[in-house]
Amino acid sequence: MTAAFAPSTFDPATLQGNILRGYRLGRVRYLILEVGGQAEDRARARRFLAAAAEGGSAEVPAITRESSGKWAGGARPDTCFNIGLTAEGLRALGVADQHLATFPAEFTDGMTKRAMKLGDFDDSASAHWPAPFDQPRRVHIIASVYADDEGRIDEVQRKIADAFTVLGHRDGRNLAEDKVFFGYRDSISQPRFAEVQDPERSQDSEPVDPLGTVLLGFPNRFEGVLFSVPSPDVLGRCGSFNAFRILAQDAAGFEDYLDAAATRLLAHPLVDQVLEPGGEARIGRGLDRFGALREIVAAQMCGRWRNGVPYETSADAQLPDPPEAAVSLTNFDYSRTSACPAGSHLRRCNPRGGPIVQRIANYTRRLVRRGMSYGPDFDPATRDRSERGLLGNFIGANLGAQFEAVMCDWLNLGLQDPDVTGSNDPLIGANRVETSWFDLRLRDGGSIRLREIPRFVTTRGGAYTFLPSLPAIRYLAGLTG
Amino acid sequence: MPEPDIADTLVAFLNADGIPGKRPVHAWGIGASGVFVPSPVAGSFCIADHFQEKLPEGYPKKPQVVSVTVRFSNGSGSRQNDGAAGPHDGWSDVRGMATRFHLGDGSATDLIAMSLPEFFTPTPETFLDFARDALPRPFRRETPWQKLRDMLHLTLPLPDPYPGQVSRPDDGAMDYADRNRSAQLAVFQAASIGAPVSYVRATYHAVHTFFVIAPDGTRRGVRFIWQPIAGALNIDLRDPAQQDKVTRPYLQQELRDRLAKGPARFSLMMMIGETGDDFDDSTRPWPPHRVRVMMGTLTLDTVIDCEHLSFNPLLLTRGIEPSGDPILAVREWAYQKSSQVRGGVPCPFSQR
Amino acid sequence: MTDAPGWLDRFVDSLPERGWFQFLSRYVVVPYWAWRDPKPKLPGGPRPAAQPGENLQCMMNLIMPLKDPSPVGRAKAALAIAQNVDAIFDGLDNVGTVHTARFLLLDGNLCMISVYDGDFSNYIRDFIVTIGSVFDEIMDLVVGGEELKPTAQNVDKFIAWVHAHDLFQAPDFPTDLFTLQDEAKGVGPGGPPHELRSLPRALILQLHANPNISLGGGYRAYPGFSAAQVRAKFGVGW
Repeated sequence: MTAAFAPSTFDPATLQGNILRGYRLGRVRYLILEVGGQAEDRARARRFLAAAAEGGSAEVPAITRESSGKWAGGARPDTCFNIGLTAEGLRALGVADQHLATFPAEFTDGMTKRAMKLGDFDDSASAHWPAPFDQPRRVHIIASVYADDEGRIDEVQRKIADAFTVLGHRDGRNLAEDKVFFGYRDSISQPRFAEVQDPERSQDSEPVDPLGTVLLGFPNRFEGVLFSVPSPDVLGRCGSFNAFRILAQDAAGFEDYLDAAATRLLAHPLVDQVLEPGGEARIGRGLDRFGALREIVAAQMCGRWRNGVPYETSADAQLPDPPEAAVSLTNFDYSRTSACPAGSHLRRCNPRGGPIVQRIANYTRRLVRRGMSYGPDFDPATRDRSERGLLGNFIGANLGAQFEAVMCDWLNLGLQDPDVTGSNDPLIGANRVETSWFDLRLRDGGSIRLREIPRFVTTRGGAYTFLPSLPAIRYLAGLTG
Repeated sequence: MPEPDIADTLVAFLNADGIPGKRPVHAWGIGASGVFVPSPVAGSFCIADHFQEKLPEGYPKKPQVVSVTVRFSNGSGSRQNDGAAGPHDGWSDVRGMATRFHLGDGSATDLIAMSLPEFFTPTPETFLDFARDALPRPFRRETPWQKLRDMLHLTLPLPDPYPGQVSRPDDGAMDYADRNRSAQLAVFQAASIGAPVSYVRATYHAVHTFFVIAPDGTRRGVRFIWQPIAGALNIDLRDPAQQDKVTRPYLQQELRDRLAKGPARFSLMMMIGETGDDFDDSTRPWPPHRVRVMMGTLTLDTVIDCEHLSFNPLLLTRGIEPSGDPILAVREWAYQKSSQVRGGVPCPFSQR
Repeated sequence: MTDAPGWLDRFVDSLPERGWFQFLSRYVVVPYWAWRDPKPKLPGGPRPAAQPGENLQCMMNLIMPLKDPSPVGRAKAALAIAQNVDAIFDGLDNVGTVHTARFLLLDGNLCMISVYDGDFSNYIRDFIVTIGSVFDEIMDLVVGGEELKPTAQNVDKFIAWVHAHDLFQAPDFPTDLFTLQDEAKGVGPGGPPHELRSLPRALILQLHANPNISLGGGYRAYPGFSAAQVRAKFGVGW
C-alpha cells in the first residue's frame, strides 16, 4: 500500500457542511467567482479563505462545517456558506501544476470538455450557455450561500464581493412540498452513511454507503479499489467532487407530452392493460381516464408517482390503500419482473440491487444530489414557457466513476438492460423527437413503446468543482506567489 | 415560393455548360431493367409497397418481385470535353444510379443514388456558389517544378490531363473547399473517385435522409445504399491492358455484354439514423456504425432505353417521406425544370 | 493539343519511386515539416459521441511495450496471460459489456484487442475491479507499469495510461482529421478551413506523432447492438 492511502480518520469538523447532508434552508444563491490576476488579488482571496476557514470575522463569512447531528436540538445556523473550486480556480490560487496533474482528468478537463459524455450537445452545448458560463476558464470558485431570508444572502454576498470578482449568480429556492417543476416530489433517495446520524432515514433498507462514496481517502463500494487522493495530501484528503449543473426544465413541454401520450393511449387497443377500467380513482382524486393515463405515463417515466410514492411498490395507485403515509418511499428493490420499467429515470440513476448488465456495478455509482429550483412558479393550467429549472449538485469522490458513469452509460444509452439499450432517460435524457422511445410497462408484463419524446431538460451552465476540506482551505490560503 | 426560383437558376446555370438536348449533369446514361425482391424484414421497417414480401398461395412459395427500371450515368457532361466524342467513361467521375420501382397499383417510386457518399454543400444557395466556382476551367499539366513543389510540400498531386481533356471542375471545386469546410469531404472524395470497370461494380449512395414508416407507425430517419454484390472495382490505368479505357467509352457496352451473359445484382442496405445524426445535411455521411437493415436485392438482366424517362428524388410512395434536407427539396423542382428544358417525358410532378 | 509529357515531366513523375528521393523525403522533407508544423499526439480509443451506435461495440487496441522484448520476456507475458485465463474470462463475463477480447504478442508488445460497449473509462474501471490482480502481473512486465501498481489504487492513473496506449482511431471520413488536429490545438470547428490539398501532409505528420493507428472505427456485421442484447436475443441470458 502506498503512502497516499494511509487510512483517513473521520473528523466531521474538518468537512464542509453541504457534503454529507443538506441544510434544509429555503433559498440558495450560487456566486460564480473569479480570483483577480494581480498578486494583491490573490493575497486578498487567500486572506478571505483563511478567515472563512477559521470561523469567519466581521468582514468574512465562516465556512459552514459538517455538524453530524449536532443541530438536532435546533441550533441550526440561519445562514450557511460553502465553496467549491474549479481546476482553474485551484491554479489561480497558486496550486502548482505538478499537484494539479494528480487530480483526475475529468476534473482538470472541466465540464465543458466532457460535453459529449454528459449529453451537452445541440441546445445544451456550452457554446449556448449564458454568462458567466460562456467563459469557463474564468469560473474559479462557485460559492453557495443558503438561508431562508434573502437579506442574509445579500449580506454574505457583499462580504464575498470584497475579496473576489463576482462574475454572476444564480438564485434557487425550494418549491412547495419539495417538488420540482415537473410536479414530482424530489430528493427522496440519497446515499446514507453510518457516520451520519439521520433519524428520519434510520428505517431505510438500502445498504449503508461507505464514506469513500463521497470523501477522498476512505474505502468505497468497489472492493479493494481506492480513488487516488490528489496531492499534496492535505489538499486532497477528505475532499469531494461536485458536478454543478444548471438544468432548464421544460415543464410546459412535459405536460404537453403527457397530453399527447395519453391521447395516443386512449386510442390504443391495449389501453386497459395500462389502466384497469375503473382504476382512475386510485390514480388521483377527480381524474378522468385521460388525466389518469397522463399520471401513469409520468409515473412510469420517473419511477415514482408525482407524490413520491414508488411505482415499484404501488403500480396501480398513486393513492394507495392503506394511504400513502404508510408506504415506504425508500424501501423497495427491482427484479426482472418489476412493475417499474427498466427505462424509468429512477432505475437508470440507481438500479439498486436489480439486475443490470454490469453485474459488478450495483450500488457503485451512488451520488449525493442536492438541488433547488430556479425561475418562476409553474402552473400546469397555463403552461407558460419562461425559463425555469434546477440548480443541481451531484457530489461524489470520483466524477468519472459516479456522475459521468451514470450519465453516459445508464442515463443516456441505457447499457444496463438490453431492453432499454439505445434509448435515453425519458425525463432528463438527451432525447430528440425523431429517435427517442420509452417502453411503458403493462399490467400483464407486456409493453407499449412511446416515441417522439422531446428533450425536456437542457443544460444552461455548470462546472466541475472540488469541495476541499477545512485543512485544504487553510492550505490554499497559505499558498504564495 | 423560393424553391422554383433557385431551381430555375441552378438548372439554367448547369445547362450553360451542358450538352444541348441532354441532362445538364449525368448526361450520358444507359438503362437497365430487372426486379427487386424485398427481404423478409424490410416490411417490418417500411410499409411501402415494394418493401412487402408477398408470398402467393400454393407450394412451394416464391416471393413476388417488383419490376424496376434503372438508369446508370456519368456525373459530368461537359460541352468542352465531350460533344460528339461521347462519354469519357475512363475519367475519374461520380456515377449515378437512378432506380424506379414499378408498384402494384401502377404508380412508381424513385431512389436516386450516386457513387459519392455525400453531397458537396448543405443548401441550394451554397450549391449555386459551389457550382459557379466549380465550372470546368481550362487547365494544363502541372509543370515539373510545380510537381516537385507539391512533393516537397507533401500535398495532394493534381492529376495530369487525360488525352483530349481541356477543362475540369476540380480546381474550382478545390478553391471552394479551401474556403468551406462542409464541402471538403465531397471534393476530396470526388477528386479520387476514379472510374468503375462496370456500372454494376460501384457502390451508390442515396445521400439524403428519408423517413420510413413502419407498420406500427414508427418513423425512422434512414439512408439507403446500393451495394454491388459482385464487389466494387475501379479500372487501374497503371495496367497497360486497361489503358484504352481512357480513350474510348466502355461502360455502356460493358453493361450490354455483361447482362447478355447473366444478371447483375445489388443489395439495398438501409442505415438507421440516431440521436446526434444530422438528418437535414447531406454533406455529412453517417459512419458505418449505425444499425444496418438488409432491405432487399435488385437483379438487373436487360439493357433498355430509358433516356426519355424523368426521374425525381421526391417521387416517393406511401411509407417513405422526405427529410427537411433543403437540397432534397430543391431537387424536386430542379429535376422537373430540367426535364421540361430538354423535352423529356413529363416529370411525374408536372400534373400538380 | 501538344500536352505530351517531356523528359523532365517523366523524370519528376518517377521521383516517388526512386530510392534517393524516398531517402530525402524520409530524412529531410518529413522531419522538416514535423518541425515546422508539429502535430500533437492524438488520444487513443473512440471519441465521445451522442449516437448509441458510436457507443456500442467500441474498439480497443491496447499496445503495451514489454520491458524485455526477448523471447524470454515474451514468454513471461504469454505465461502471465495463460495462467490467468479463467480469471480474465470470469471477469469479462461479469463486466458484462465485452463482445470479444484477446491478447497478442506483436514484436516487443503485448496487445489487448477488444470490443466493448459503453464508456471507455467505465470499461477499464470495471475491469480493474474484477481482474486488477491480473493486470498487476502484466504491469510488472511492461514499460512504465510499476508506477501503476497496484492498479486498484491507481485507477484514474491506470485509465489515463491505457488511454495513452490505446491506438488513435483515424476518423471514418478523411477530412475530419483536420478537425481533430484543430481540436488538439484548442481550435474549435469554427476556425478557418485548411487547404484541402494539404490533407496528405496532415496525415503524414499525424503518423509522425502517432506511428501506430487504427484505420477508422472498424467494421461491424450488426452494429448498434450491445453484447447483452445479442446474448438476450440468442436466448443465452445476460
